[in-house]
Amino acid sequence: MPTDTKRLRGPEESQSPMLFLPPDAQILKASSRDGSRGHADVRPIFARCGLVSQAKGSAYLEAGNTKIICSVYGPRETERKDETDMKSGRLLCDFRLAPFSCLKRGAWIQGNEERDLSVALIESLQPGVCLHRYPRSQIEINVVVLENDGSILAHAVTCASIALADAGIEMYDVVLGCTLRQDGDTCLVDPTFAEESGNWLGGYGENQGRVTVALLPNFNQVSGLHADGEMREDTLTEAVRTCMDGCHKLYPVVQHALLRAVKRKAPPSVK
Amino acid sequence: MSPMKLCVPGERLCSTEDCIPGTGTYLRHGYIFASLAGYVLRKNEGEELPVISVVRETEAQLLPDVGAIVTCKVTSINPRFAKVHILYVGSTPLKDRFRGTIRKEDVRATEKDKVETYKSFRPGDIVLAKVISLGDVQSNYLLTTAENELGVVVAHSEAGVQMVPISWCEMQCPRTHAKEFRKVARVQPEYLQA
Amino acid sequence: MASVQVSEAEKVYIMHGVRDDLRVDGRGCEDYRHMVIETDVVSNTDGSAKVSLGHSDILVGVKAEIGKPRALVPDEGYLEFFVDCSANATPEFEGRGGEELGIDLSNTLYKVFNNKHSIDLRSLCICPGEHCWVLYVDVLLLQCDGNLFDAISIAIKAALFNTRIPKVHISEDAEGGKEIELSDDPYDCVRLNVENVPCIVTLCKVGQRHVVDATLQEKACSVASLLLAVTHKGMVTCVRKMGGGSLDPESISEMTETGKRVGKALHAPLMDLLKKEEGLGKNRQKVGFLR
Repeated sequence: MPTDTKRLRGPEESQSPMLFLPPDAQILKASSRDGSRGHADVRPIFARCGLVSQAKGSAYLEAGNTKIICSVYGPRETERKDETDMKSGRLLCDFRLAPFSCLKRGAWIQGNEERDLSVALIESLQPGVCLHRYPRSQIEINVVVLENDGSILAHAVTCASIALADAGIEMYDVVLGCTLRQDGDTCLVDPTFAEESGNWLGGYGENQGRVTVALLPNFNQVSGLHADGEMREDTLTEAVRTCMDGCHKLYPVVQHALLRAVKRKAPPSVK
Repeated sequence: MSPMKLCVPGERLCSTEDCIPGTGTYLRHGYIFASLAGYVLRKNEGEELPVISVVRETEAQLLPDVGAIVTCKVTSINPRFAKVHILYVGSTPLKDRFRGTIRKEDVRATEKDKVETYKSFRPGDIVLAKVISLGDVQSNYLLTTAENELGVVVAHSEAGVQMVPISWCEMQCPRTHAKEFRKVARVQPEYLQA
Repeated sequence: MASVQVSEAEKVYIMHGVRDDLRVDGRGCEDYRHMVIETDVVSNTDGSAKVSLGHSDILVGVKAEIGKPRALVPDEGYLEFFVDCSANATPEFEGRGGEELGIDLSNTLYKVFNNKHSIDLRSLCICPGEHCWVLYVDVLLLQCDGNLFDAISIAIKAALFNTRIPKVHISEDAEGGKEIELSDDPYDCVRLNVENVPCIVTLCKVGQRHVVDATLQEKACSVASLLLAVTHKGMVTCVRKMGGGSLDPESISEMTETGKRVGKALHAPLMDLLKKEEGLGKNRQKVGFLR
């Protein structure tokens, strides 16, 4: 391509100046979290079912500025034929971050991070779904993060499990998710995006990490556990417990959202 | 009537000593749990214990199961088998198409070796069949029509008119009076209502 | 992943064995299989290692190239992981069959190294904001016999230990332009400090207990496993629950504890071994097929 040497061209790559702001050191101090939120408090969540009329089941979940929409299709005939598929069904997941969901614009095609989140989501949901009731079939879960303000995996787990229940897929239990950000001796439950990345990039301190737990609340079983960073073993065990408490706090909201969806439809005629 | 009880998946409904688990529930450690979000129904069916089940307004997604009667449409035939799309399980329509196969030897119960698929089905026929196997890695659902009540229920003649059955193996076109071979079903009244 | 079919009777046999702390191959629940480590096996790399754990064979090559530092961390280099599931290991990996597993493995490796202490990334910086070393860690699966994660992490640690990065000098000319000069002596290189590189310990829950370094048969008997990346100090850098089952909180804390103990114990002998092997120089005995 001929280039115009006379014109002043910008650099090939550009970065948002927002990324270079000094990490806000105040975020992790004291109880200045969005006004009055304590360290162990989850953000209030809003959940509704049945927004996508074409889907078998769907859900929308909002926690602070994190907004996630999820729809479930199927069970339908499986495309890929493996030996294992014959006895039980398969969960498929397509996890997307909308290009405008993060600070930096993302691509439409599924990136590495999204694939990783898809795998993590399936692993967390699988123990909760009665897959043996759906032999030879696949259940598709589509998740789109509309706005990423931290803890997306945890909220996606909750959102997807509401959508599965709304789709009438048989489940052993609903699955709830909660994330925790460990920074030294303080831990922040359900971190926002700023809290999640915050000092992480700047600090070289010990005991930094992020833990995401998926929980089956009625059996008190952990169906998913993902952690990275660098933590002591006792901190990790403690973090898992804190996350489980956080999950239990979401249960009434999820229950309410599901019951509301059931009530909206007419009750079945008793024969 | 008191408002009906609602539940979400994972809720403990009762002990197995009080009820028999029905649809939308599962057993764990001697208790019955809900596996669906919906209304809790207790029904006495003459047994000692009532059957407890969870129902939703929209029927829970049914999948073809072994022994189920399915309604399907023939899509293609060859000398060894007929390929079909399963449209209904019992009286419940399926949201997605499931493919099935009726092999030559499963068309009728007698004289299995003399069956000719071309004289039993034609593409486009609506067939009642029973699921005999979920199939393995290579095959689809395996279906059979080897019962008097199973076989072709709706078929169109070459003139495009819906034909009338005249025997268990023939149908006639009301316009041209041409006879065509089919494995005809003796339709049971209870299926007609559905 | 490559898997085997195990009958119900075999499952019961394996599970009863695990309950009594005796596994099919005679190991206890916290024992690894026999491990063979060799470093410096591929001449075209800056560092390489081959690890055999049971019948799992892993080859890791590290290549250092000069790249541009990431905008957010101008004073650090970075690591890139790529795991190739070759069709040699199992025909299932043919074509794109191994792609999913490969991405899964490399994503986990990124998470394992996603902290400030595993590798001193600042030592990889040449000129802040402009040039840094990028370490391409390429993992090749030659044979699969269970417990790939653990074998890969050990192979990576060995390969990074073996890695020699050429020394470079930055000279500034009068106009302020910078020039990178490579040392003439090929033996003039920098070594990485791999003391903090974590090792992955995968614990498979079989029955009520959990086993370390599960074989494919044992893996088939377990519904859930926990992956832990542990440093020599006992710090945990990555945790992941894998498989279709769930775990109760008590077994998670038990498994983390075991994982930490086993992982911690793994590092000292590994470092000793690597140093000893290096001391042998060219005279060491070659055990593998690579020369």
